[in-house]
Amino acid sequence: MEIIDITIKDLKRVFKDIFSLVMMFAAPLLIAGLLYFAFGGLTKGDATYKMPETKVVIANLDQPGSPGFAAGEMMVEFLQDSSLQDILAVSLASDESSARAAVDSRKAGVAIIIPPDFTEAAISPDRTAAVSIYQDPTLTIGPSVVSELVNHFMDAFSGSKIAAQTATGMLSSRGVQVSENVAGQIAQSYAAWQQSSRHEEKKAIPDMVIVSPAGEVQASVQKAVPIGLIVAGMITLFVFFIAGYGAESIIREDEEGTLGRLFTTPISQAFILSGKFLAVVVTLCIQIALLLLVSALIFGISWGNPVTVILVSSGLIVAAAGFGIMLMSFIKNSRQTGPVMGGVMTLLGMLGGLFSVAIPNLPSSVDKITLVTPHGWAMQGWKLALAGSSPIQAILPVFVLFLMGFAFLAIGVILFRRRFA
Amino acid sequence: MQNGTAIQVQDLKKNFGNFAAVRGVNFEVQAGQIFSLLGPNGAGKSTTISMLAGLLQPSGGDARIHGHSICQELQAVKASLGVVPQDVALYPDLSARENLEFWGKMYGLRGGTLARRVDEVLEIIGLTDRQKGKVGTFSGGMKRRVNIGAALVHRPKVIIMDEPTVGIDPQSRRNILDSVKELNRKGMTVLYTTHYMEEAQELSDQIAIMDQGKVIACGTHAELVRIVGELDRIDLTLASESALLVETWRKIPGVHSLTPQDGQVTLLVEDSNLVLPRLFDAASQSQARITSVNIFEPNLEAVFLHLTGKALRN
Repeated sequence: MEIIDITIKDLKRVFKDIFSLVMMFAAPLLIAGLLYFAFGGLTKGDATYKMPETKVVIANLDQPGSPGFAAGEMMVEFLQDSSLQDILAVSLASDESSARAAVDSRKAGVAIIIPPDFTEAAISPDRTAAVSIYQDPTLTIGPSVVSELVNHFMDAFSGSKIAAQTATGMLSSRGVQVSENVAGQIAQSYAAWQQSSRHEEKKAIPDMVIVSPAGEVQASVQKAVPIGLIVAGMITLFVFFIAGYGAESIIREDEEGTLGRLFTTPISQAFILSGKFLAVVVTLCIQIALLLLVSALIFGISWGNPVTVILVSSGLIVAAAGFGIMLMSFIKNSRQTGPVMGGVMTLLGMLGGLFSVAIPNLPSSVDKITLVTPHGWAMQGWKLALAGSSPIQAILPVFVLFLMGFAFLAIGVILFRRRFA
Repeated sequence: MQNGTAIQVQDLKKNFGNFAAVRGVNFEVQAGQIFSLLGPNGAGKSTTISMLAGLLQPSGGDARIHGHSICQELQAVKASLGVVPQDVALYPDLSARENLEFWGKMYGLRGGTLARRVDEVLEIIGLTDRQKGKVGTFSGGMKRRVNIGAALVHRPKVIIMDEPTVGIDPQSRRNILDSVKELNRKGMTVLYTTHYMEEAQELSDQIAIMDQGKVIACGTHAELVRIVGELDRIDLTLASESALLVETWRKIPGVHSLTPQDGQVTLLVEDSNLVLPRLFDAASQSQARITSVNIFEPNLEAVFLHLTGKALRN
């Protein structure tokens, strides 16, 4: 019974402490929300990242000299491609001034002006042409994406010109004179091949988030970072933090003299430590339950099979509580707590991948590194839960979390018993 | 006063590595007494009572509290004790009542009994009106009173108080001393440690004087004072130290002992009225200037000085 009394007393102290409450509930939701919005997640109840649509107006002034190849038209088709329709709304303007006027009047975010000699420049080795991009200065992401797309398209033509120059040079070195017309045809052939291969390549590329290194943009971003993972990362981080903070009560009580006074009562040391451990566990249960509930309401996260969620939460609680007790058993006084806990929790959070859940397409080796920490295993558990996995499918991370938790606890208890012997 | 021995300490020792903090302490406290352990800082008082309270394991010897050995029946010993630590040991973010309730629960009290006991203790410590206030917001004296109250809720047979008046204002100190007397009047045995001679003198039925881990004298106040006979203590302050004068004073008839320290000389003399003029004459001949004189009737300070050759305050 005295164990429960110690637990209740510790819970009273924790829930009267504003700092604890902020770190327990406000901070994880606030940071998760900021990360979510920073990555553009503006839709409620949608687990995928959707980039806002950018209105683009194109003034295609290109006047191809020969029939059959029109670079300006190709650029228009490229930007009107169905794969980009979720992020670009393309319309055409008859001339440059009306395209610019559309941006000025905020009817469009970006205007692209394709010059009259665009095709000529594309096929002629010696000529150049400039495509102008005129943008609403208040926009950032949309115009950047459009600019990347245009650059990507232009790179293809640069490639065709280089191909034509190379072919012409090689033929000339062997005594074959190549006319300007033939050089143009080589450039056209290269551009056509490049265009078709780009489509093939695009089919082979899996869905990605925002911009790949090649500047490729996928409109369908179904594998984008779910808010669920971001919130799960923050829950894991702050659960470990609160576990450490809760376990710190042993150090604080030692300094306040109340731990020594407890040792003068008929309660054994084992009961006193058990009561304090139970307080940490109950605190974490309340924290996780509320965070899961509130995040489901605010962000519309579906956490998956309830039994799986309970299992993962339990594993996380045991691992975090055990880790908190162990960490505090190494700390001599409460002045050390802040720097040590801040440093260790942040480092483990980084190693455990809690801050990189929002970064897409990380190498698989990073995933493996995360598994040296309980945080990484907790994230594995959350990923499985969010994917709707059954309890059986989530059993490995849960088992590892329990194992780690009990090992941490054993070390912590041994060290504390030595200290207070 | 009740009959029987409440505390029996036999050859109790405590070593910290090579340092012997307590070197075979012996004393007995009868039930219903106030027993004081008097000595300077570092004398071994707190270490002794830490062993009695179960906070430290003795390196040797034993003690029995109401017949229970601290080495073999610690749980029973703890249940019969109330311990008031030297520093305030309370939860500052809980109210006075919550603190008292918690400490009562640690001794197995529950429900109506607990509530009644807490009410009683609040009455004793005079904080019934402030029972809902957070302890962290209390003055130092009020915290001390709650600190004592926390040791009383379970109505222990013996209460151990480790220098409960250190660092508090005179009014709070007076309150605490009165509380101790009141508790004793209600039949509680009190083991009280202090380095204030006046407190030991005012409160105690028995006093054990400790120095360097040993009990150097034990008895009632009257018995202890008799150790130094009817010697008076004279404290003299010199304008400048003079080894020659000190040696001259030492040879004056009637001077029993003399301790010079930091420009002040403490003398135990047989009759201050006779000796004092001789001291002044000698100072005059040595052209030394005496800046202050204090004369004390025989007391515990004199006893300590007599037994150890140093002042209790040091």
